[in-house]
Amino acid sequence: MRRRVPHLLGLALLAFFLAFPFVYSANDYPYVMHIMITSFFYAILASSWSMLAGYAGQFSFGHIGFMGVGAYTAALFSHYFWLSPVPTELCTEYRFGETWLVVVNPIGVTSTTLTQDCLRQAMEMWGDAVQPTRMPVWIGILLGTLMGGVFGFLIGVLVLRLRAAYLALFTLGFAEILKATISAEIEITRGQAGMELPALFESGVTLFGHTFDKTDKLPPYFVMFGLLLVCLAILAWLAGSKFGLFVRALREDQDAAAALGVNTTRYKVLVFVVTTMMAASAGAVQAHYVGIVTPNNLFLLQMSLVVAMAVIGGVESFIAAAIGAVLIEVALEMLRNSFVIGGVEIDMTIWRLVFFGIVLMLTLRFARNGLIAPLIGYFTRGHVARETVEHRLHPRAEEAAAK
Amino acid sequence: MEHPGTFWGVIAWMIVWGVAGSVAIRRRYLQHDLDTSNTTFVGAMLGAATGPVGLVPLWLKTPELTNRLIVLPAIGAVVLVAAAFAFADPDSNCVANGSFVASQITNGIIIGIIYGFMALGLTLIFSILGVVSFSHGEFYMVGGMLTYYVTVVWLPGINPLLGIACACAVVFVLGALFERMFLTPMYQGRIDRPVEYGILITFGLAFTLQYFVQAIVGSNPVKTRRYFDFPRVRLPSPEDPWLVKTSRGNLELFDTISISNPRLTAAVACVAVLGALLYFLHRTWTGKALRAVSQDREAAAIAGIDPSRMNMLAFALGAMIAALAGALLVQAFSWLPQVGNIPAMRSFVIVVLGGLGSLPGAFVGGILVGLVEAAGTGCIPDPQKAASYIPAYGMVVLTLTLLLRPTGLFGRRYASGAHGKF
Repeated sequence: MRRRVPHLLGLALLAFFLAFPFVYSANDYPYVMHIMITSFFYAILASSWSMLAGYAGQFSFGHIGFMGVGAYTAALFSHYFWLSPVPTELCTEYRFGETWLVVVNPIGVTSTTLTQDCLRQAMEMWGDAVQPTRMPVWIGILLGTLMGGVFGFLIGVLVLRLRAAYLALFTLGFAEILKATISAEIEITRGQAGMELPALFESGVTLFGHTFDKTDKLPPYFVMFGLLLVCLAILAWLAGSKFGLFVRALREDQDAAAALGVNTTRYKVLVFVVTTMMAASAGAVQAHYVGIVTPNNLFLLQMSLVVAMAVIGGVESFIAAAIGAVLIEVALEMLRNSFVIGGVEIDMTIWRLVFFGIVLMLTLRFARNGLIAPLIGYFTRGHVARETVEHRLHPRAEEAAAK
Repeated sequence: MEHPGTFWGVIAWMIVWGVAGSVAIRRRYLQHDLDTSNTTFVGAMLGAATGPVGLVPLWLKTPELTNRLIVLPAIGAVVLVAAAFAFADPDSNCVANGSFVASQITNGIIIGIIYGFMALGLTLIFSILGVVSFSHGEFYMVGGMLTYYVTVVWLPGINPLLGIACACAVVFVLGALFERMFLTPMYQGRIDRPVEYGILITFGLAFTLQYFVQAIVGSNPVKTRRYFDFPRVRLPSPEDPWLVKTSRGNLELFDTISISNPRLTAAVACVAVLGALLYFLHRTWTGKALRAVSQDREAAAIAGIDPSRMNMLAFALGAMIAALAGALLVQAFSWLPQVGNIPAMRSFVIVVLGGLGSLPGAFVGGILVGLVEAAGTGCIPDPQKAASYIPAYGMVVLTLTLLLRPTGLFGRRYASGAHGKF
């Protein structure tokens, strides 16, 4: 019975999250929904990072960089590629049947310059007669995911020979270079000003006869939650298969694993590609949901949050990491309220992070497997010790029973 | 840039032959059952510098890779990049303007000394504890912040030296306490993967310290006055001071090179402290014990040295060095709680470039990184872009080092502990 408790609890949690947007109806509904969506976003990052770091032992600090790759690919795609029913005759454009694919020229920040990109010029000439449309959002998300995979493959190949500290430094360097490049190439990425994206469902979406417009939180909630479930399902499948066994062997002893016939190169690169694709897809969806991406999204703070969430949840269990991420994101938001003690105002927006850092250090020091993973383990594996003892005491009993 | 095609063409040519060289030469040496430890580096550099002209003889003859064969192609490759840039963009400030070049180089070396000093703390910690301390940047930040508070807010008018000493002492104690509280389980074999634990726990400390300081100080930038005014010097004569001219905040050499006071005093102080540190490490019992532990923990323990105490001392000392660098630079830069991030990254770069655990390597690496950053900021035509790319220059160096020569310039091939493997 005890073994089933985590499964039951998991189902209850699933039901709770599925029912939550319909049941909850307080005034702060959009705010709470926003927090839930953000917490799912972090849950995807934390669980995929726990696969990379906890299962495979590759302590990559560039995970947020891969998230940025996904977000910026989606942003660039939606910014530069348009569909138009008539040719602009100003831009680079390709004809597909009755529509033209318009590639907008990069001109940088428009607020300070009078020149406009070719599509805007064309639109001014057309007036209201012609409306060019954006490319579908899902193609951008897909491209972002693929681009994350490509980057993950490249980085995975580059770090093949590096271990532990070197790997951490290299991936941190990758994230920094990415951030610096995005901040510096103002003509293309608009630098610190950030890039605007269309909402996930720009023209609204109709579900069960109810129309949600683009600012409603319910559709993105289910998109992000669905993505989280897909990622968790893939991770569960991977962890339970040969792949999971091999990457754990890699973590414990790479040389021994290689000697026993594990293709270490292949699995190291593969685990990078899979996890970075998850991070990139989360980044792309989140970018479309929030509507803007800036290089500040790639700050080390974000990476610290992901690492801390995974570690506090339990880095060697992706489910625990995901639950940890959701709990911590919600807890951090709840701690936002400042209060006054003895005439001194305590600014909780900062102090909560201090508190969080201390929790992280104490967890690492005293509960190395996180706070949630041991709980799951208590229920699922608690019987193992007893059974082993029983088996040692009466080795023949089971065989006799089997006969 | 006038002819970007020329420049990028040369770079592409160098990359193609560099990659080809690194792969082919390593293969060849492996086939001939020779030492392959430097082949990747030499193959890449020789390929980049000379193309097939140099690679073919190397491939045919497979000579022993002496130091000369390691260093010369590397210099050749750097010279080739510089020459390509000079041809592509002859009017650029960093090609045509000699005094600008001299000034950039001098300032690059001076700031490089300070970088190297800070990286020294990181490499000291690494060589003894085997931990890459991710909280190094935060110790740097705390050092500067404490100096500011002591000399400006709490005790205005106090001698800045006392403020610096106070900051160093506080961070020393902080480092020692942290080591005792959080790093001790690492040495007792109670942790499966100590290197990762070390990274994560120092990462946690960095996070905590940064937001703790931000919560207390707020996020307004602070800065101290300069600690020391230059005396007024005019050489060789007051009318024609072409040799040396100083004002209170600036020093001018040969009418061309201008060095600001805070940076020069910081660099001089760093060199002085480095001397003291070298004396401590090589001439005193404790320093020798530290070095002994870094070479072989077990043997040192047998000789009567308590490695656990040396760990504490090394971590505290490393943290204090970072704090001292911060305390010296708070007169030069505006100070924010986030100020430590970029120097921390830079220290990682320097330490890997110099060879993890190598003290002279940290210093040489620091100067090299200082020069690379000076070249980067001076030569990229768009100044705004150049400034945005500052964190990336070092990271490019790091990437190249890790790919071509992961042991760094002076890295020991077999450092002690689990971190020796890379």
